[in-house]
Amino acid sequence: MPVTPARRARPRTSTRSALVRLTAALAAVAAGTTGCTFSSAEAGSGDTVLTFWHYFQGAQQEWLERQVADFEADHPGVDIQLVETVGSQHVQRLLASTVTGTTPDLFINNIVVDYPTLTSAGVMLDLSPYWDDYADADQFPSSAVWRSGDAVYDLLPYNNLLGLYMNTDVAGRYGITEPPATLPELAQDLAAVTDGGDGGLALSAAPSVEGAWLFAPELLGEGIGYCNFSGPQVVDSFTRLADWARDGYVPQAAATWDQNASWQQFMTGRYAFALNGNWQLGNVGSADFGYVTAQYPAPADGSSTVYPGGEGFAIGATSEHPDLAWEFLQDEVLSRDGLLSLYEAAGSIPLRADLADSPQLADDPDVQPFVRATRSTAEWPDNTSTAEMQTALGEAVSATVSGQLGGRAAARQAVADIGQARSEGDVVGGEACS
Amino acid sequence: MTTLGGRTLPAATRTPRRRPGRVRRRPPVVFLLPTAVLLVVFGAYPLLVLVQMSFSDVGPATIIGPWDFVGLDNYADVLGGAEVWRSLLRTVAVAAVLLLSNLVLGFVVASLLSFEGRVTSLVLSVMVFIWALPPLVSGSTWRFLLDDTGLVNAVLGLVGVGPVPWLSEPRLALWSVTAVIAWGALPFSALILRGGLLAVDPQVVEAAAIDGAGYWRTQVQVVLPLLRPTLWILGILTVLYAFKSFDYFYVLTQGGPGTATNTLPVQSYYAAFTDFDMSTGATVAVVAMAVVVALAVPYVRSLRREGDA
Repeated sequence: MPVTPARRARPRTSTRSALVRLTAALAAVAAGTTGCTFSSAEAGSGDTVLTFWHYFQGAQQEWLERQVADFEADHPGVDIQLVETVGSQHVQRLLASTVTGTTPDLFINNIVVDYPTLTSAGVMLDLSPYWDDYADADQFPSSAVWRSGDAVYDLLPYNNLLGLYMNTDVAGRYGITEPPATLPELAQDLAAVTDGGDGGLALSAAPSVEGAWLFAPELLGEGIGYCNFSGPQVVDSFTRLADWARDGYVPQAAATWDQNASWQQFMTGRYAFALNGNWQLGNVGSADFGYVTAQYPAPADGSSTVYPGGEGFAIGATSEHPDLAWEFLQDEVLSRDGLLSLYEAAGSIPLRADLADSPQLADDPDVQPFVRATRSTAEWPDNTSTAEMQTALGEAVSATVSGQLGGRAAARQAVADIGQARSEGDVVGGEACS
Repeated sequence: MTTLGGRTLPAATRTPRRRPGRVRRRPPVVFLLPTAVLLVVFGAYPLLVLVQMSFSDVGPATIIGPWDFVGLDNYADVLGGAEVWRSLLRTVAVAAVLLLSNLVLGFVVASLLSFEGRVTSLVLSVMVFIWALPPLVSGSTWRFLLDDTGLVNAVLGLVGVGPVPWLSEPRLALWSVTAVIAWGALPFSALILRGGLLAVDPQVVEAAAIDGAGYWRTQVQVVLPLLRPTLWILGILTVLYAFKSFDYFYVLTQGGPGTATNTLPVQSYYAAFTDFDMSTGATVAVVAMAVVVALAVPYVRSLRREGDA
C-alpha cells in the first residue's frame, strides 16, 4: 500500500498503518513459503499463465519441459509455469491449495495412492465434459480413466509397473540363464546365488507405500488384495519373506531401502536380481553388467499380477483456465506423439491402443515383460484409506525383513491393521471396498 | 560470594545500582506488537488449530469446512493403542541419550575448547559448520556412511568386524539414529557450555590451582557447580529437542525398520501426512506437546529465577 504525504503528516496513525503493512508482509511471506500457490495468474506481459505442479525428475522432467515448450510454441501468449514440488509433500500442498482456493491449473499425482484422498478433498476438476467430447477417448482402456460416480477426475495415460531385473553376469556364474517365472523358481535361484557368496534380491522393503507396492504382487497373483486381505495365503507369503530374510536372499538393509536405494544397490552389480519398475529401463542401459527383464514372478498357484502404477494427470478444481489446461493434456500428454515420446524418454508404457503394436514397443525385448504386465493388473481399492492400508502393509514387510517380527506375527499385524484402516475408510465410488 | 580455602572470592556478577531520583520510563507497548503479531500468527493460532483438530474428525474429505467435534474419541483411540506408548518410550530413550551426550560429552568438549589456540579455533569452526548443516543434508550423508557397504562398515571390516546393520537391525536402529542426532546436537551444547565456562571468574580457577587442585578436579568440583544454571537450562532444551526431533528419523529410517524408530513426532507426521489421518496426527502431536509443556514450566521458572538474580 503506497504511503501518501497526507498519511506521513499524521504520525498518530503510523502504528495502525505499520500493523497493516506488517500483516500484509506476513501474508506475503506466508504465501511465499507455500512455494506454489499462485494459480491462473495473468502475467504482466499480458500472457495467460498456467501453473503445473509436478514431482518429475530426470528423464520424465526433461520430457515434461519439452512438452511445455512445444505447447507454448504453438500457443503464443501462453506461459506454462512448471512448479517442482517434493514428491512426499505433493499431496499436502494440493490439500492446502484446496483450502486456500488456489489449486494449480494442472498437476500430476501418484494416482494409485492418492486418488481417493484428492477426490474426497475436492482438489480435482470434473473432466467428464472434456472427456465425453474427446475424439480419442476410445483409444484408452477403462483403467486409464479414474471416475467417481459419473465424474472423471484423473487420467492415467501410461502405466508404470513392476518387473524382475536379472544381472546375467552374476546369474550366469550359477548356470541361471533364464529369469525365474515363479516365486519358487526365484527362491531356488536365490539359494544358488547366495550360497555362492553373491547378493540375492535387491528390493524396497521400506515401512511405507513403497515396501507395500513391492510385496503386494506376491499375493495379488493368488487373488488377495487390500479388499480381502486375509487367509492362509497371507501367512504363507509373510513366512516366505521371513525365510528369505533369514537365509540372506533379501538383505536386512532392504528394510529401510526405498525403490531408488534398492536400484542403486542393484546397479552396483553385487545382486543377481532386483524387483523394480519399468521407469528404470532408461537407467539400466548404463549398467556395467548384462541384464534381462521378466514379469514379476508368479506365486506357485497363481499368475503374475501387479498393481498398475503411474502418474495421474488432472486439472485443479479452481483453475481459471480449464479449457486451456485440457488442451495441453490433449495435445501434449494424451496424444500419440506425447505418449510415445514419454516412452522413449523414460520407458513408461503408453495405454493408447494405437501404440500397443508400435515397433518401438514391440521390438524392445526389455520392455515386453512390462507390456505383458499391463494386461494382467489388479484393481486398486476404492477406499479413502488406501494410503493407510499400504503403509500398514509396508510396515509389516519392513518388520519382517528386518527381523522385528516373524512371518506369522507380521501377517497377523498386517491383516489387523489393513482391516482396521479399510473399515475406517469411506468408499469414494465404484466398487465397494470396506 | 564464594569461599574457597578460607579466601573470600568476588561474586561472578554484580547488579548495577540504580541512580536515586532517576525514573525509568517504560517502553511503549507498541514495541511489542511485531513480536505479538508473529507469535499469534505463527505460534498461537497453529497451536489452537492443532488442539481443535485433535478434538475433531478431520481427514481429506473433511479438511474444508466445519469439523465435526468428537470429544475425547481421538485421545481414547490414540492412548488406548499400544503404539503411542511404545513411541513415547522411544522418545524418552532418545531424550535420555541426548541428555547424557549433551551434558557429559558437551562439558568435556567445552572444557577442552576453553583453551585459546589455533586448534581450538579450527575445531570451533568445524563444530559451527556441523551445527549449521541442515539435518536433511547431514542425515543423508550419515545414511550412506551407515549403510551395510558404507564407510563405517568398511573401516570396521579392516579390523575384522561387521558389517553391522546400523539402520536395519530393529534393536540397533533407534540407537544409531540417536547417535547421529547426538552428533548433530553436540556442537550446540558444547558452544553453550563453553560460553558458560569462559564466563567463570578466572580468579576462582586460580584459587583452586593455588590450593593444589588439578585441571579436571577444578573443572568437576569448582567449575561444574558454577555452571549448574546453564546445565539445567541446556538439559531442558535437550529434552525439548528430543521431543521434536524428526528430520534425522525421516532421512535415515522413515520410522523403520518396521516401527522400530517410531517416536512421537515421527508417528504424528506419518499419521497426518502419509495416512492423511489428521486427527490422529494432531492428537499424537498434542500428547507430545503436553510432555514438552510439562518440561517447559521448570525451564521458564529457572529463566525467571535467573532474571531475578
